[in-house]
Amino acid sequence: MADLRRYLGQALLYAAFFVPLVYITHLPTFTHLEEDMAVLKIAVRHAGKIIGECKPLSGAEYDKLPSNMKRPEICPRERSPLQLELLLDGESLYRATVSPSGLHNDGVSSMYQRFEVPAGAHHLQLLMNDDVASEGYTWQLERDVVLEPAQVMVASFKEGFRLQ
Amino acid sequence: MKALLKKGFNHLDSFFSVFFTPKWNPMYQLGALSFFYYWIVAITGVYLFIFFETSISGAYSSIERITHDQWYIGGVMRSFHRYASAAMGICVTLHLVREYAMDRYSGPRWFSWVTGIPLLWLLFASAIGGYWLVWDQLAQYIAILTAEWFDWLPIMVDPMASNFLNESTLSDRFFSLLVFLHIGIPLALLLGMFIHIKRVTGARTNPASGLAIGTLLAMLVVSLVWPALSQAPANLDVAVTEVGLDWVFLNPYPLINSWGPGQTWALLVGLSCILTLLPWLPSKRPEQTPVAVVDPDNCNGCGWCLADCPYEAVSMKDHDYKKDHKQSVVDPDLCVSCGICAGACPSSSPFRHVDELTTGISIPGFHIKELLSLTENKLKALDSVAPHIMLYGCDHGSTVDQLESGSVAAISMPCSALVPPAFIDYVLRRGLADGVIISGCCEGDCYYRLGNTWLDQRFSQERMPILRTRVPREKVRLSWLGVQGTAQLGTEIEEFQHYLHHAEEEEAYYG
Ligand code: HEM
Ligand code: SF4
Ligand code: SF4
Repeated sequence: MADLRRYLGQALLYAAFFVPLVYITHLPTFTHLEEDMAVLKIAVRHAGKIIGECKPLSGAEYDKLPSNMKRPEICPRERSPLQLELLLDGESLYRATVSPSGLHNDGVSSMYQRFEVPAGAHHLQLLMNDDVASEGYTWQLERDVVLEPAQVMVASFKEGFRLQ
Repeated sequence: MKALLKKGFNHLDSFFSVFFTPKWNPMYQLGALSFFYYWIVAITGVYLFIFFETSISGAYSSIERITHDQWYIGGVMRSFHRYASAAMGICVTLHLVREYAMDRYSGPRWFSWVTGIPLLWLLFASAIGGYWLVWDQLAQYIAILTAEWFDWLPIMVDPMASNFLNESTLSDRFFSLLVFLHIGIPLALLLGMFIHIKRVTGARTNPASGLAIGTLLAMLVVSLVWPALSQAPANLDVAVTEVGLDWVFLNPYPLINSWGPGQTWALLVGLSCILTLLPWLPSKRPEQTPVAVVDPDNCNGCGWCLADCPYEAVSMKDHDYKKDHKQSVVDPDLCVSCGICAGACPSSSPFRHVDELTTGISIPGFHIKELLSLTENKLKALDSVAPHIMLYGCDHGSTVDQLESGSVAAISMPCSALVPPAFIDYVLRRGLADGVIISGCCEGDCYYRLGNTWLDQRFSQERMPILRTRVPREKVRLSWLGVQGTAQLGTEIEEFQHYLHHAEEEEAYYG
């Protein structure tokens, strides 16, 4: 009898452990995105223009180079950072300078950002300068879009801005 | 705060012991339970892996097939896999808090404590990886936030989150990496678990069989009644709005959501650093007393102290001057000054014909000769007519000092297993006391891990040094009642005295 009561107690304690455990492995739910919101992602991976131009080597400089590396001119490798801006209905949502990767700043610049924006009609503007030598923006895209609730719109760059 | 936690655990311990008995008490084997859950997760994981398809398109549907088409086995395996992980998360957390509350984390125990912290990270990483593989809405939510979380670190050249922009950027390659991680990280966890218990002699890595069976049965019931299910399939073109979370392992995610990645890193890394340093931070803890000292003159190289040390602090080397003899050595970095070794040493016998009792190994804080003089003096001072009781206790179990009286002499020491069985023999043979009680921590929950287990075995003659057969067993009692049991110990003493009194009367009557 005492044994039976003990096992019953154990059963209740197992239940007291596992029932809440099962519950918290999937509930309560968490609201990640409000119902009337949509998502705008911008992800750019692009190599900026090379800064500066190749310049010919003087005779002395040319002579100093090891024989297997002799070439008539020296070219810079550093790339321009990207000036990026995203405007939503005329207001700046994102504006940043994206530096090139690599030890000598000679790699691609890449960035990613996610925004939560109200669903509905919007005017989108994407602007980028990938060449410090030029004034203003070298790339741009303007588009009127209508975002459904929970829709994910992605702005990326490949030989020009694209919206998906 | 620590005192409050300790009190809470003490109550919880007694409560569980009522139903589970001390032997099955889950509170005493949280580490062993964590191991048990690990093995469940590992075995069910292998089963799930056989049917799992490592591709974006196959992952979700293969798990759906496991869950629904083979609900009787695959579904149960999946539920076991999920619920055992969560149970392990809870057990490990309780284990951590308990070791802290019970002051079992500082001194030489720092090693177990510090090596425990990375296990938390590995455990969480394993679990998160698992949820990711399901590739449902929850996985989508985790994928994007984890990627953004790691992108915050300045180590990423290309943002990881660009892998999850929309359906068109998703690649099977990334998925293969995930599967690889979900196998590799748990294996690293297992390795870490073995390192974690490296300095613990005979670490308890298996729970009592009754507890193990009960756990499996309980898990089987919940798995059949509430099987683990997937949420709607992932679709990166539509954002996740509301998501069911596993609050055991995924609790950092709402934080990343609301605080941002940087703050979440700061919190989790900061917390881990504080936890890691805890053994050395100023706090009220029992002081580490001087470590055990070996006296080569009295050591015969038997190795009993080595066999009984709970922290692998004793080893043997060639004797300092006796040829072809061994002697013990103590590693001061590992010794917790429990004195269990002194209780194990055959030289700790008060029957030896020496002017002053010496022994092979002893802790300076409570030398065996001190135990002898206290025993003799206290017992000689008893003046009541009731049967005289020698009550030995430890500083972590029942408070024996409170129970001292005209007929009860009480001595408290770091661990009751410091009392060599020869002392019991001595006290009774010399007629210094009519009965002896050794009390201490609850069965299975010795502050020094193994003290009461060793005493039980010494007294039942399964372990050296044994309690000799000539000792009348009815005059000796072991009583593992713990801190909570001081009052009950008092009752047991009275009852014991009553028994001894009657036995005496009977003996006088029948001769
Ligand atoms: C995967 C997770 C873990 C497992 C499986 C595990 C398992 C164990 C086991 C089996 C023992 C030996 C218990 C005994 O036989 O006395 C132990 C001891 C210990 N654990 Fe853990 N543990 C885990 C995580 C942790 C964590 C996160 C901490 C705290 C940061 C921790 C702190 C300790 C301490 C301090 C001891 C030594 C206790 C003593 O010497 O009395 N453990 N653990
Ligand atoms: S006192 Fe003895 S038994 Fe205890 S840890 Fe030190 S060497 Fe080991
Ligand atoms: S138990 Fe005593 S005699 Fe035996 S090895 Fe240890 S110190 Fe030496």
